[in-house]
Amino acid sequence: MVGMTDRIKEQAHVLGPRQSLVGILSPATPAPRDDIPYVVVLNAGIIHRIGPNRMSVNLARELCARGFNVLRFDLSGIGDSDPREDVLPPLEAATADLREALDWLEQSRGARRFVLVGLCSGADQSVIYGGDDRRVIGVVLLDPSIPRTGRFYRRHFATRMVNGRTWMAILTGRHALWGKLLRRISPTPPEPGNARDVAVDSPAVRAFLENAYQIAIKQGIKILAVFAGAGGREYEINYREQILDAFPNVNFGTSMEIEYVKQSDHTFSFESDRRHVIKVIVDWVQKIAGNPDRT
Amino acid sequence: MTPFYFGTGSRRLFGLYTPARVGAVGIRSVVLCPAWGQEYLRAHRSMRQLANMLNSAGFHVLRFDYFGTGDSAGDMTQADLAGWEGDIGAAIDELKDTCGASRVALVGLRLGGALAARVAARRASDVDALVLWDPVVDGRAYVDEIMLTGKQKALGLGRSTQRAADQGGGHEILGFPLTERLADDFSKIDVAAQIGSVRARTEVVVSHTLASHGGLAAALAAYAGQPPRAVELIESQAAWINVKEVGSGAVPVKILQRIVQWLA
Repeated sequence: MVGMTDRIKEQAHVLGPRQSLVGILSPATPAPRDDIPYVVVLNAGIIHRIGPNRMSVNLARELCARGFNVLRFDLSGIGDSDPREDVLPPLEAATADLREALDWLEQSRGARRFVLVGLCSGADQSVIYGGDDRRVIGVVLLDPSIPRTGRFYRRHFATRMVNGRTWMAILTGRHALWGKLLRRISPTPPEPGNARDVAVDSPAVRAFLENAYQIAIKQGIKILAVFAGAGGREYEINYREQILDAFPNVNFGTSMEIEYVKQSDHTFSFESDRRHVIKVIVDWVQKIAGNPDRT
Repeated sequence: MTPFYFGTGSRRLFGLYTPARVGAVGIRSVVLCPAWGQEYLRAHRSMRQLANMLNSAGFHVLRFDYFGTGDSAGDMTQADLAGWEGDIGAAIDELKDTCGASRVALVGLRLGGALAARVAARRASDVDALVLWDPVVDGRAYVDEIMLTGKQKALGLGRSTQRAADQGGGHEILGFPLTERLADDFSKIDVAAQIGSVRARTEVVVSHTLASHGGLAAALAAYAGQPPRAVELIESQAAWINVKEVGSGAVPVKILQRIVQWLA
């Protein structure tokens, strides 16, 4: 695909009403039909728009080589984009930026339909925003926040119980269990740990996310959810269908496809994993959007 | 703020130009030369902040990505150090053309420091100041270091870092391909042996001391010109080292302030 992506002439833009968001547009040549959606790639956490391991660049170029117009851009205050001057909280600021980017594509390029792609925080923002904008027809969620479930814990502890290193750690006093016991009897407050872990398992966050998925599905948005299962991620997700069990009130039906890349870490650090995930995304976008090559 | 592409049709480079915010005597301009791989990603925030501070101090600044990196065209399997030195040269020409400066300063972080030193030596008439910020000094030690960290991470995942020969060979280093050609290029870096041929005013600032800094300090001390040169240690968190696995380094404000102050 290197030969195809080499021919792409990407364009750098400053977009939005405040001329403050920096984005790179990969325009497909020849231009696709009007009904072919634009793909918009969000930031992963605070990493700038090229994405972890330059994954967003490679994804944008592969999609572009297959006939899709693709925008990757920095949310305000991330990468090269200026901070917002209003005082919106982070999630509201991100969704406001996203709307500005989509409006810019609509006004300047005539884009009418969109597929959003996000990793980590970008995945959460994509599904939350998607339900609030009728122009969004699909979202690709790479390792979104998913609460742990009963089945997660059963699998987790079953794996640990047969692991000799776990027993050795308990017997030698190095296991986290001892720390938890000590904290219970200690007068000092417990360590906060990973705030994201704590937050995503809280009832309020679980309900908020479940509601976001419910709205997205009701609006007819198609979802591709990709999960990584290694490099520490196994402490948050350890089976393919966890998202279904985590949000039992959402009727995902045939609206969602799940890809579980068990051997990969959260940022898809290995080239083979990235190639695989990019192929899965490109194939899925073609399936839900129509194939621009087959006009 | 003007993001744009420059260079040739077969070697399109992403650049981001930010103009001086205050008037200064004469036109002063700086090209920032980034690090490589994860170090490049992690230090992006610091490079942006440095550009911002330089703009406030009256400098026009061009940040850019080497071919095959960041938002520039190409991929790492097509890259080599000679090409990246040429990219710095193209960035110098672009900045001079954009802001009307007759000469520019180069600030290079990590690998960017080693590349900037080579370009400064070769283009003495265009480069009037050089800042090496936590530079890679000894290429062989650098390759050993990044290979070790790459292999440690891969080992934790039960994976091999080895890359296929038909893809340029070499190894995967924390998500970035270090092809055999790049590894060979990296291992030939020897800033201590080369710094004597740089005629531009030179500052070396480091956030912590590495073994290779001894050789560089000796080479700088041997410089007979004015002003004298030395390695300046400003103990800080490194911009290019991951903080709490968020994919970004700290912003070492004292080092940024020192770079701006020295250039100004």
